[in-house]
Amino acid sequence: MSIRVAAVADIHLDPAQRGSYRAHLDGIEERADVLLVGGDLTRHGTLDEGKIVAEEFQGLPVPVVFVLGNHDYHSDAEQEIIAVLRESGGIVLDDSAETLLDGRLGVAGGKGFGGGFAGKSASEFGEPETKAFVRHTREIADRWRVALKSLDTEYRVVLSHYSPVKETLAGEPPEIFPFLGSYLLAEAVDAEGADLIIHGHAHAGTEKGMTPGGIRVRNVALPVLRRAYATYCLDSEEC
Amino acid sequence: MDTPHYVAARVQQAIAEDGRTNELGIRVDVRGDQLFLRGQVSGEDQLHLLTDVAREAAPGLTVHNEVTCVEVRDPGEEEHL
Ligand SMILES: [Fe+2]
Ligand SMILES: [Fe+2]
Repeated sequence: MSIRVAAVADIHLDPAQRGSYRAHLDGIEERADVLLVGGDLTRHGTLDEGKIVAEEFQGLPVPVVFVLGNHDYHSDAEQEIIAVLRESGGIVLDDSAETLLDGRLGVAGGKGFGGGFAGKSASEFGEPETKAFVRHTREIADRWRVALKSLDTEYRVVLSHYSPVKETLAGEPPEIFPFLGSYLLAEAVDAEGADLIIHGHAHAGTEKGMTPGGIRVRNVALPVLRRAYATYCLDSEEC
Repeated sequence: MDTPHYVAARVQQAIAEDGRTNELGIRVDVRGDQLFLRGQVSGEDQLHLLTDVAREAAPGLTVHNEVTCVEVRDPGEEEHL
């Protein structure tokens, strides 16, 4: 049976926009079975902004799965933001996996990180700062492998903030690609298998791309979509 | 007067790091004494704050704010995968 996945990222809510996004979520249960929100929920990563995000998505008739983005880390309140989102009934992935919809859908992921793309990426070499940057992404990718392995579901979707491929960055200046994503994320997902990868972060990027292993990638950053959320139907035979 | 290249870099950095804006995707170009901002933000008030931060970071330049607001439309069609 098919599953309809709604997805959006980079809503960047602040107090001035309270309630403005919620209005677009009316009737979501008629369009989708689950909503994935791919990070940059807030503008400055404060707990107050986190509470506004929690209110905005509270009590929806479909399960909501979040990952955080780089903006949500800016005020060193990421753990508190994760806590308020969970208290309000949301699922938050932090390099972890969750099984939904009576075991039919598995979602794995976390914020991801940068480093660049195969053949043109940073290496774990030289100064400690460079090594730490690359190691952060490598450790995330390793945790995603573990998370994906733990899922035994009909469909598997990966939710990230940073991009696993450069195709969905088209429109961004190539000079900043290493800060927008890493091929290590795609490599991990290609190794374990998934039906779809959702990400955001690249506001000037492109919606559609694919991993080297053939897994569909969708950049759902709000400025890319220019609509409240995208809806993807897994298993086209039934949609 | 500063080299336009570095003025643009300083303004872009200010827009990214200033708590009033924290906008990472704004393009800044300087031509003579004119400064141009391009990109997208999510709300009207951020538009004005961009102008404020750019003016403070580059006093003496005329700021042309060509940044637009992202318009959020209804969800639309689903894609079959
Ligand atoms: Fe963002
Ligand atoms: Fe981001």
